Amino acid sequence: MHRNLFNWALSLLKGKDRFGNLRKFSVFKDLNSFELYLLHQIMNERAYVEGEILFENKFPLELIYFIDKGEVEVIGALQPNGSRLLKKNQFVGLIDMFQENVRSSSARVTQDSVFLAVSQTDLRKFIHDNPRIGIKILIRTCELISKFSFDLAAEIKGD
Amino acid sequence: MKLTTILFDIFLLAVIILAATFYKWIFSYLISAIVLSYILSPSVSWLERKRVPRWLSVVLIYLSTAGVIVWFAYRMLPDLISQGETLMNMINSDQAPANSMLSIPIFKSLSGSVLKLDQQIPMLNLVDNFDRLIESSKVFLSSIPKLLITNYQVVLSAVSFVATIPLISFFLLKDGNKLVKDFYKIIPNRYFELSIIIINKINETVGNFLRAMFFEIIAVTIMASIALSIIGVKNSILIGLCAGVANVIPYFGPFIGTAIAITTTLIDGNTSMLPILNIIFAMYIVQVIDNNIVYPVVVGTTINMHPLIVLLTVLAGGWYGGIIWMLISVPLVYLIYSVVKVLYVNLKKFQLI
Repeated sequence: MHRNLFNWALSLLKGKDRFGNLRKFSVFKDLNSFELYLLHQIMNERAYVEGEILFENKFPLELIYFIDKGEVEVIGALQPNGSRLLKKNQFVGLIDMFQENVRSSSARVTQDSVFLAVSQTDLRKFIHDNPRIGIKILIRTCELISKFSFDLAAEIKGD
Repeated sequence: MKLTTILFDIFLLAVIILAATFYKWIFSYLISAIVLSYILSPSVSWLERKRVPRWLSVVLIYLSTAGVIVWFAYRMLPDLISQGETLMNMINSDQAPANSMLSIPIFKSLSGSVLKLDQQIPMLNLVDNFDRLIESSKVFLSSIPKLLITNYQVVLSAVSFVATIPLISFFLLKDGNKLVKDFYKIIPNRYFELSIIIINKINETVGNFLRAMFFEIIAVTIMASIALSIIGVKNSILIGLCAGVANVIPYFGPFIGTAIAITTTLIDGNTSMLPILNIIFAMYIVQVIDNNIVYPVVVGTTINMHPLIVLLTVLAGGWYGGIIWMLISVPLVYLIYSVVKVLYVNLKKFQLI
């Protein structure tokens, strides 16, 4: 009873968790509601229809797309079997932002989709201005890269 | 393209033209408010990161800024009033025009030289011409209060200008992020990434430049005021402020500040070389500190324009709109050049041109 009352009072102080749905993306899993509110300020929601091009190979790389709804096909030499299908709650461009400024693949929307787009310039500035939040995002990104490397190694070994 | 799309685009264009015509009077208000919000924006964002609601952050920053302005006004107003009173007394005195103007030491010594020259070459009639010049100067100065009364509308619009800008800027600071997001919503998907890059770059370039310019003006004003106070120049804060503002003009700005300080000293009656040399040395030290410490730390990147282009821009600004335009023409041209460069580079990268 006391515990519930305390939690209720705490929730009043914290305010509504309006952007809690962003936690479905693994890199933002550890952020609290205020941190998500700050992050949401640099995000833009975009709707695409089936067949629309999200980005093209060799064009400048600025946006990281978080898939809120729908799916997208990424086509390029670096993708396994030449292409990869990304679905809801996945994202495209996050790892690339540490590597290059030009797209190494193209992406086409395969069904009506909604993306949360964030500029890598804004994200870098956000991490720089908010180091505590930045550490949480970067740790999750490192985990992601680590998993990606191990999966790749296992794939090569399997061949 | 469908006919309905074309018709809608034409309708949209007409609405934009109508809106631009309707709002053109407040364009200068908007630009000034944008400049103010660029300068204050990092402080507001910093407070917001400390969990202060954004609207309250803006209010707190406004209060702090107002506090600083009031403190400066309190320190400087008595000086300004006494100088104004002296000037008005001199203009409205019953003495002969030449005599009242000639109470200023520099005019006194100038008059002596003219008299001497006139005695040596009588046909030049220099004394009469000099008296006529002094008389016309007096007539112009006397007309200033009358000009203020007859142009009360201009005075009122200036007051409304100063009062409205912080209000517009308040909303820009509070909802600026939302406004930009709403703007992105009307951009077609094809140009979305390009528009993000361009707006980010313009934001960064313009924001950094305006903030750097603002902090440099403050730094040079403070340093010049202190340096001139140390060597005993009167009205050092005002002269320091002029030097700080003039400093926005590359290459020539520092000379303008020094010239103002020297002129003031001459008008004050110091005709010997030592105070003038002291001023030149003091302003040189200010420039050395500015160029080697303040500029690299605060500004980082310099206005990379050829001195000839700077000179021509300042002259063009002067012809176009007087002293104010002389001061803002160089930064304005530099900003426009930067924006065009960003547009060109990115349109090229996205293979649109």
